[in-house]
Amino acid sequence: MATPLLDVRDLHTHFIARNLDNEIRTARALNGVSFSLDGGKILGLVGETGAGKSLTALSVMGLLRPPARVVAGQVLFEGRDLIAMPPEEVNRLRGARMAMVVQSPKSSLDPLSRIGEQLVRVQRAHDPALGQAEATARAVAMLEAVGIPDPQRRARAWPHELSGGMAQRVLIALALVNQPRLLIADEPTTGLDVTVQAQILDLFRELVLANGIGAIIITHDLGVVAHYCDDVAVMFAGTIIEHGPVAAVFGQPAHPYTRALIASTPERLVIGRTRTTGAPPPNLYALPTGCLYRDRCPHAAPDCAEPPPGRAMGAGHIAHCHFAGRLAEHAA
Amino acid sequence: MSVGRFLVRRLLLVLPLLLGVLFFTFMLVRLSGQDPTAKIAGPTATAAEIELVRAQLGLDQPLFTQFLIYLGRVVQADLGRSWVSQQPVLQDVLERVPVTLELLLWGVGIGALVGIPVGLRAAFRPDGAFDQISRFVSLLGFSTPTYWLGLVMLLVFFYLLDLAPPGMGRLSLMLSPPPRITGSYLIDGVIAGDLEAAHSAFAQLVLPVLCIAIISAAPIIKQTRAITLEVLASDYIRYARAQGLEPAMIRRMALRNAATPVVTFLGTELTGLVGTTALIEYVFAWGGLGQWGLNAIITGDFAAVQGYVLALALFSVIVFLLVDLAVLLLEPRAGTRA
Repeated sequence: MATPLLDVRDLHTHFIARNLDNEIRTARALNGVSFSLDGGKILGLVGETGAGKSLTALSVMGLLRPPARVVAGQVLFEGRDLIAMPPEEVNRLRGARMAMVVQSPKSSLDPLSRIGEQLVRVQRAHDPALGQAEATARAVAMLEAVGIPDPQRRARAWPHELSGGMAQRVLIALALVNQPRLLIADEPTTGLDVTVQAQILDLFRELVLANGIGAIIITHDLGVVAHYCDDVAVMFAGTIIEHGPVAAVFGQPAHPYTRALIASTPERLVIGRTRTTGAPPPNLYALPTGCLYRDRCPHAAPDCAEPPPGRAMGAGHIAHCHFAGRLAEHAA
Repeated sequence: MSVGRFLVRRLLLVLPLLLGVLFFTFMLVRLSGQDPTAKIAGPTATAAEIELVRAQLGLDQPLFTQFLIYLGRVVQADLGRSWVSQQPVLQDVLERVPVTLELLLWGVGIGALVGIPVGLRAAFRPDGAFDQISRFVSLLGFSTPTYWLGLVMLLVFFYLLDLAPPGMGRLSLMLSPPPRITGSYLIDGVIAGDLEAAHSAFAQLVLPVLCIAIISAAPIIKQTRAITLEVLASDYIRYARAQGLEPAMIRRMALRNAATPVVTFLGTELTGLVGTTALIEYVFAWGGLGQWGLNAIITGDFAAVQGYVLALALFSVIVFLLVDLAVLLLEPRAGTRA
């Protein structure tokens, strides 16, 4: 089998800081995240706030700032481990081979540079040999490709002159202009209104598939996953508790948490609500051994004190639960 | 929008502001409870003579009428006469403005030249050793009383070390001032080729300028650091990292975005320090506008106080006009936005 585009193996990210008593405190934010992604596929990363979705993206991209750092694991991008790579080399890949779209497009654009200049800048930063004229032409073509009307004129616009939806299109253009292989979108449509959300996600999917890019969409919105993703990975307390093809995971959720998540989402409502039906997430400073979902799980049993194995549910569908498969009879 | 139109609009906004300043200082001075007529009429004056002086000065008129008369004169560039020196206020003010400006601009200029790089360096490595030291030094500067600093400077550098001349004005008493061109003895001395005078003026400048530089550098360090930290924590800097831009390029982006708020802060600092400069002028017997204005307030010299406040207001207006022009140049967006 060919090397996957992105292969994340047992990634552990901790926040290590001293408290006021000068004791070292460690928040174990990611506890063995593993997944892989092929080109031309879209993976949805879902879970409640604080589950480690964005942190996974930052860890993969090498964008963690102290006190957060990767303490163990591998991020194999096109077969090369980004964690072991010198930071300058990762920086050369970032924005070129792997790109990111973030959730606050308007404030993420440099307020003092025109849209076109920013598109030219990211191209020339990664390809100093590229001429100004060529980069400008490509910038305009890219703006057109992301559906910005009158791209020639818009290239001269300032970020503050754009609407949120337009700014998000510009961000997608910035991410794609260097033809990356991997694209991570961290809640790309938060803060946009619903019709614009759909337009942006349609565009996103179209561009990703047309260019054979491997993409990750991080979202709270299971509706987005169902509509736009091929695979889904459900995160809880810094681990992926269930992953597989969207149809399989949503059709036969095998982990009790995935079930709770789906049950608490009437159509397209935001998932933040699960908190009210469950309990607070586990304390990252003092994680229990065994299954991290134990305290909130209605099916918790003595076995759950042991770390749950990954149980194959068929066709790439894996759930990390002692009772996966056996709960299937009383599925919601 | 062109710079010319910007200036015209800004000047139109300034007129009502100045009118307000004139009105409020006029009324405040009159409400201060000081009555100069007795002083002017002299110690032997009878009640009738005092009334006569009052009528001559127009002080028997209703307040509002007095204000209108004053306003009419101000428009004709007549700020009245000082009751103390009997000189026209305008002349007194014009003589002293360069004297104070010399002190203030050198002081804040050096404060900014030191404070901005220090603040930037501290912000680029927050909580590093350099940051810790600069924060401590800046706190010291904040908590030092101005007049005390001036006195200690004199004590140490004049009395104990004998490195500096005594704080007795702007020029050694042995020398006569160079012909007046700019009003700054240092610059005039250089222009006139009178290097002895220029050297003495420079020596006299060092300590008071140092005081103002220290007092102004503290807030400049603090603000520059805070502004830069905010820029560095912004979404666009984080996204620049996600785009794999080079650290030098990201740093340049941060500097560009921090420039406008820092320049604006310098403007506030410059106008705010006029009052502090008055205290320094006192300690060093500088004889500039600040010292003159404080004297006018103490002696109840109405026309001089009004002239002083008007000069300060004009100074603020000019400083902020310059700040806005600088922002216009720094920020390409400002032109399209207005």
